[in-house]
Amino acid sequence: MTRVDGTPDVALELEDIQAGALYERPSPYVGTYLLLRIVDRTDGRELVRRLHRIANPAGGADSAGATSLTVAFTYRGLEALGVPQESLDTFAPEFRQGMAARAEILGDTGESAPDRWEEPLGTDAVHVAIAVLSSDEEQLAAVAEKARAAQTELPGIELIWKQDCYQLATGRTSFGFKDGIGQPAVEGSGRPATDARERPLRAGEIILGYPDETGELPPMPSPDVLGRNGTYIVFRKLHTRVAAYRSYLRARAATRAEEDLLGAKMVGRWQSGAPLAVSPDADDPELGGDPRRNNDFGFGDDPRGFKCPVGAHARRANPRDALDDEGSVDVRLHRMIRRGTSYGPMLPDGVTEDDGVDRGIVFVFAGAHLRRQFEFVKTQWLNDGIFIGAPLESDPLVGPHHEPGSFTIPQRPIRRKLQDLPPFVTTRGGEYCFAPSLSALRWLAELDT
Amino acid sequence: MTEDTGTPTPGLEVGPTSEFSLFFRVLDGQGPSLRAALLELQGTPGYRPGDYGMAIKTIHEARFVLFDDDTRLAFITSFDGPWDAYMEDFFTSGPTLALFDVIFGHVEGYDGLPDLAAVRAFVLGAEQTAAAYARNYPGTVKEIRKAQRVNAAFQQVLDHPQAAEALGHPAMQPLLDEAAD
Ligand code: HEM
Repeated sequence: MTRVDGTPDVALELEDIQAGALYERPSPYVGTYLLLRIVDRTDGRELVRRLHRIANPAGGADSAGATSLTVAFTYRGLEALGVPQESLDTFAPEFRQGMAARAEILGDTGESAPDRWEEPLGTDAVHVAIAVLSSDEEQLAAVAEKARAAQTELPGIELIWKQDCYQLATGRTSFGFKDGIGQPAVEGSGRPATDARERPLRAGEIILGYPDETGELPPMPSPDVLGRNGTYIVFRKLHTRVAAYRSYLRARAATRAEEDLLGAKMVGRWQSGAPLAVSPDADDPELGGDPRRNNDFGFGDDPRGFKCPVGAHARRANPRDALDDEGSVDVRLHRMIRRGTSYGPMLPDGVTEDDGVDRGIVFVFAGAHLRRQFEFVKTQWLNDGIFIGAPLESDPLVGPHHEPGSFTIPQRPIRRKLQDLPPFVTTRGGEYCFAPSLSALRWLAELDT
Repeated sequence: MTEDTGTPTPGLEVGPTSEFSLFFRVLDGQGPSLRAALLELQGTPGYRPGDYGMAIKTIHEARFVLFDDDTRLAFITSFDGPWDAYMEDFFTSGPTLALFDVIFGHVEGYDGLPDLAAVRAFVLGAEQTAAAYARNYPGTVKEIRKAQRVNAAFQQVLDHPQAAEALGHPAMQPLLDEAAD
């Protein structure tokens, strides 16, 4: 295979790359996130040795399949394992600082500020992050048990946080929308693109050690064995204020259909996942559920946003062809793999009173560039509106709205403007992690510093 | 491999707009050819007088200034958004790169394309943050353009023989207030 520009397709070392970064989780699924603290270095390395045995390579037989376990480390975690300082210094600066230190930049202030985060998120105690996802409870229990076994009899390892998650068969998340649809394809991963307009990303956008969209190798931690085939992971526990969201819409809509329309305008897709760009006037569940069609669209024919508002969440998060003639932005440099999951029970249909229950998503990002992918999208596209010529507007659904926000819905004859948008999402905590390759896991286990 | 050249200083901001200034030394004896290249640039789409359509849609204006007997070159502009977030974009998307190659081939330290990391380091090395910066209007280029379109439409309405009548409705009062001059 060769690329359009004549350079040969890269062969990704799938046997060495953790499956979680590259491949879809099973769907529907149940899962668990575990955070561990390494108190004792020797036990830490033993833990890594055991995790290495149960982590799934992307090239494994069941990569598409039933259960996957992904292992990642924070900067403090690598430090606790005894990774030499000269190697630690080669990691991305944002990773070295950690997410809590980036809070001001990311808009995690006020109710979302790190001093309000759930313990122990954002502290130096978070060292190892493990995600286990499975298509059914039984298998999950089996793998989670293996993960737990990896940790038992290791007194130097503490389980400090656990978060269960799930995905309903409908794929719907707490606000009612199907999530996880828009994903870029990655060269060499063997998975075809779902958006025919988007050429698969060069592998180095997601996996370290391969050329990225700039034609160069992403800055990679050294030694090579540690950095190569690894990827950066961002996880954020995001609490969703579903009752507030529903009552906000209810107060501004005359009918249930109008509520659905306003919600769809905020997201850029109908609840079923059907994109507004393709089905602007009504939901089309068949379209929403059709993976061959539900991501195959652009915004080029709708520059003013009559079908999908330019400020809608999914259009902000991936403007596709909408910014092609700006001359200052290359959308391909700001893509990401998302592996988010739901937590907490759904708020029963129709309820608009807050029941006090914690529910939301564990947002998970995978990519080779924390700053120009995750942080860029979060700060320039979601938290800000300069790029769409609306500096005072942020993302209607996930924007911080420290001051009540507004959201413009282009429509003829007169645009609609939603006012007094409160925050619908608050950050409960999170961390920047590094998911190393399988050989790097072995290297970490065998450190003798 | 892209070296991390550290976090660039983002430049002063006024509202959504940030200033961006680069200063270079002209290669020995290249003053005249650089001046010629800039003259030529002035004739290209976007730079042609009256065009108002630069390749980069998010800058308010741009100027190249030769000074010290054409031994130095300044490039000075205002950009909507923090330009440091867009560094990689500038150097991978067409218009900037092409422009750079023509102009910066005449200055010291530019080793030519396609080494992106080198180009990036070259630009960051030339950037000087302003000591003072002010703007006389708020707003992004996109908002200014929209405001101009709206005003043009408003003038068209005012030119209609029944404009006064049409603007008579109480809801039109703010527009009527702007209609008198
Ligand atoms: C609680 C918070 C969030 C919720 C409820 C949420 C929900 C959604 C929904 C419903 C979609 C459309 C379905 C899809 O394409 O998968 C979507 C798309 C997307 N979201 Fe979010 N999101 C949240 C936070 C974020 C954050 C923090 C980011 C990035 C920093 C992000 C990035 C994206 C991206 C890249 C897409 C895909 C756009 C596309 O390719 O069309 N989201 N999100």
